[in-house]
Amino acid sequence: MSIASFLQWLSNTQFSVMMRESTWAEPIVETIHVLTLTLFLGLAALLDLRLLGVAMKRRRMSEVLGQLNPCLFVGFAVMVVSGVVLFSGDPVSFYSTTFFKVKMIMLVLAGLNVMIFNATIGSKVAEWDLDLKTPRGAKAAAVVSLVLWVLIVAAGRGIAYALPPP
Amino acid sequence: MWLRSLILSFCHWCNNSFFGHGIRNSAWLFPFVEIFHLLALGVLGGTILLLNLRLVGLRFRDEPISELAQDVRPWMLGSLGVMLVSGFLLFSTEAVKMYGNWAFRWKMTFLLLAILFTFTIHRKVTMSDEARVAPLWRWVVAVVSVLLWTGVGLGGRAIGYVASVAPSAMIWIK
Repeated sequence: MSIASFLQWLSNTQFSVMMRESTWAEPIVETIHVLTLTLFLGLAALLDLRLLGVAMKRRRMSEVLGQLNPCLFVGFAVMVVSGVVLFSGDPVSFYSTTFFKVKMIMLVLAGLNVMIFNATIGSKVAEWDLDLKTPRGAKAAAVVSLVLWVLIVAAGRGIAYALPPP
Repeated sequence: MWLRSLILSFCHWCNNSFFGHGIRNSAWLFPFVEIFHLLALGVLGGTILLLNLRLVGLRFRDEPISELAQDVRPWMLGSLGVMLVSGFLLFSTEAVKMYGNWAFRWKMTFLLLAILFTFTIHRKVTMSDEARVAPLWRWVVAVVSVLLWTGVGLGGRAIGYVASVAPSAMIWIK
């Protein structure tokens, strides 16, 4: 099945029609998507700032990771589910915007960044747990993460401007 | 009433100011400022949420709450500053319209309450020795804090959806 026919199929599902026709569904889900930025983006930024050695300097790195990761996981799950619901309301229009495609590519890159961090410098966190100067790899991962999330938020806002008005 | 006409003339002044005028007539400035507003929302909400999770003992339980509060304070104040400045700039592009928007009034009411609460009771409880604060009181403070800031967020979301004055809000304006 091609992408175009999948999008067409998705937009013909009962769920998609309901999302388009309901007055309240879209605003409610979008509000959840935006307000969950606090749980996800805010805490991800705090984690990145700790990786850079500029926030929560007195906390052990492993402790910050251990305490924030469950919150980030919940936040990310809510973001993805609400995002998929919003997308399925009008998949053809979403996919037609450049912002959406750029956002998806950057999301993949952000995921890769986390995986690389966990496989390399993150797995050796005990060695630099309390270092005031964090390793270069940790700083690089934090900068990449911060830049990507800023651009992802910007692209997400862009989608709303690029979509045809209801 | 004199206060109302003062606010309204302030709104007119914002509308006609160089920034209100400039952002309104630019194709990209409004979205640009809006992104800062969104990013600061994430950081401000994240720090407040984290402090409240600590208040009720769900996160960073091993750390004294006052230490965590000191750690996140610069980021909380910094993002609040970005929120207020970017929010004011966005407001200034259509200040007179906002004056009549009930969602905007809701948001400003909650913002005032949330800021007052954060810098008085919330600050006192998060900066004091945990053993001296009753658990129930910590829960109450955390829940009130989340509710007040959620009220700000919901109002902000609603502004875009509320094109004109809702009939129920007319009593406020008359």
